[in-house]
Amino acid sequence: MGPLNAEVLGITALSLKVAVVATVAACGIGVPFGFWLGSTRFQGRRGLLVVLNTALAFPTVVIGLVIYLLLSRHGPLGALGLLFTWPAIVVAEVLLAVPIATALSAAAVQAVDPRVRRTALTLGAGPLATAWAVAREARFALAAGVVVSFGRVLSEVGAAMIVGGNLRGQTRTLTTAVALATSQGDFSLAIALGLVLFGLALTVNILIQLLQGRTGA
Amino acid sequence: MLEAQGLVHTYEGRTVLAVERVALEPGSRLALVGPNGSGKSTLLRLLAFLEPPTRGALLLEGRPVRTAGERRAARRRVTLVEQRPYLFRGTVAANVAFPLRLRGTPAADVEPRARAALARFHLEQLAGRQARELSEGEIQRVAVARALAARPDVLLLDEAASAADRAAQHALFAAVAEEQALRPLAVCFASHLLEEAYRWSNALLALHQGTPVPVTPENLFRVELPGGSGMQRVAVGPVAIDVIADRGGPATLAIPPEEIVLSLEPLHSSARNCLAGRVVRLAEQDAAIRVTIDAGIELIALVTRRSLDELGLAVGSPVCASFKSVAVRVF
Repeated sequence: MGPLNAEVLGITALSLKVAVVATVAACGIGVPFGFWLGSTRFQGRRGLLVVLNTALAFPTVVIGLVIYLLLSRHGPLGALGLLFTWPAIVVAEVLLAVPIATALSAAAVQAVDPRVRRTALTLGAGPLATAWAVAREARFALAAGVVVSFGRVLSEVGAAMIVGGNLRGQTRTLTTAVALATSQGDFSLAIALGLVLFGLALTVNILIQLLQGRTGA
Repeated sequence: MLEAQGLVHTYEGRTVLAVERVALEPGSRLALVGPNGSGKSTLLRLLAFLEPPTRGALLLEGRPVRTAGERRAARRRVTLVEQRPYLFRGTVAANVAFPLRLRGTPAADVEPRARAALARFHLEQLAGRQARELSEGEIQRVAVARALAARPDVLLLDEAASAADRAAQHALFAAVAEEQALRPLAVCFASHLLEEAYRWSNALLALHQGTPVPVTPENLFRVELPGGSGMQRVAVGPVAIDVIADRGGPATLAIPPEEIVLSLEPLHSSARNCLAGRVVRLAEQDAAIRVTIDAGIELIALVTRRSLDELGLAVGSPVCASFKSVAVRVF
């Protein structure tokens, strides 16, 4: 294996690590929050949905800038020493993916037939078992939310560049590497990295499709 | 067992149900009858503790059920099958097993009990089928089997046999009756089919616009009162009926079946209304016969077997239906 291939493998591994950790964290927050938002009626819910939908379209470089300012040496979280490390990229990606996971989960739960909840309740289910029954019926839409969040995190470049710094061997992800290779005129490397990125996204989607096929979606 | 007192329920400020008292005793079978929108489904949802009433009390075993926690506990004992029941994704067996798992039934007992519940409704062959492959009638029967698998103390059925053919309806109610023969299960079912209600219930609550009506809701007609006071002639489809009313506008007429006198010839009597028609259906109801007459509008009269025999009435016989204008209830 040549040094270039080893570097590409390292970049791919880091991209996957960042994407998986950020997706798990974002969905850990966003899916329950979206579930609550989709199944509860309260005053101010509509306003919250407007904020959420605005967050979906928030420019990633602005998120990157905010995290940069927070984590910079003189920022409020500067003492953590996270700036230009991969966890810093994870933090930024989580902030970007939480609104997606939340909005899609809320939409998934809202789309579930209202009879599901009533049926679970009348058969004796408590709040948790009822929520589980609703989640089971919405599982494919919820899974789609996870996949979209993963795709968002994997393909993001602006925030990763700002808070990660695109440091070789440390914070260089597939997207920041593509940006760098392109700016340096190394188009063959940029295309190769782009294909790796595409291959990863395709693999995840095929896995989800296979899962849905097996469970009778 | 389950009792409702002074129940009032409103939606968006509009009262949709006002029932002074409903009681379901162990082993009883109460039929809720009434036209669409009469409040049957609302009453069943309240009795099922799926939503709290706007006013009034629900008591289970004499104890009021007020808080969310009490309602949750009560739902373990009272199960509703909706008119269009929902089966979860997965197999029929998994659906029937759902309430058993919720109740912590030992894993080894779940499958045999689910199969036994299905067998009661002759649905064993559906156990392995995906729920979404079933017909509407099959879904209804599986839903009732699933509800009974939970062994509730009170079973509420909202038009549970509406998608079934006559034989399947019979099988469904027979299976429920069979369960009642084994244990003191209270049953309350809503139906728009009066024959079904009479056949399978031992008590009947008729609802109209959310309130109990003192007559069975047969011979109900929506009309436009011409207005004025005293006697008014009202158009009901192609026929005219004399009624006593002191207002005009939209109204509902109810002609109690026991107030209709049948004769072979038009009667010379004080009855203001005499409609000629033909017998289209005869059905037994306890000791009496329910005679359905097509007189331009469909009327149901209640007569004794002896009167029927003396008049020699059979399906297709010409007949006159007479009733007094004061016998017609105007709502």
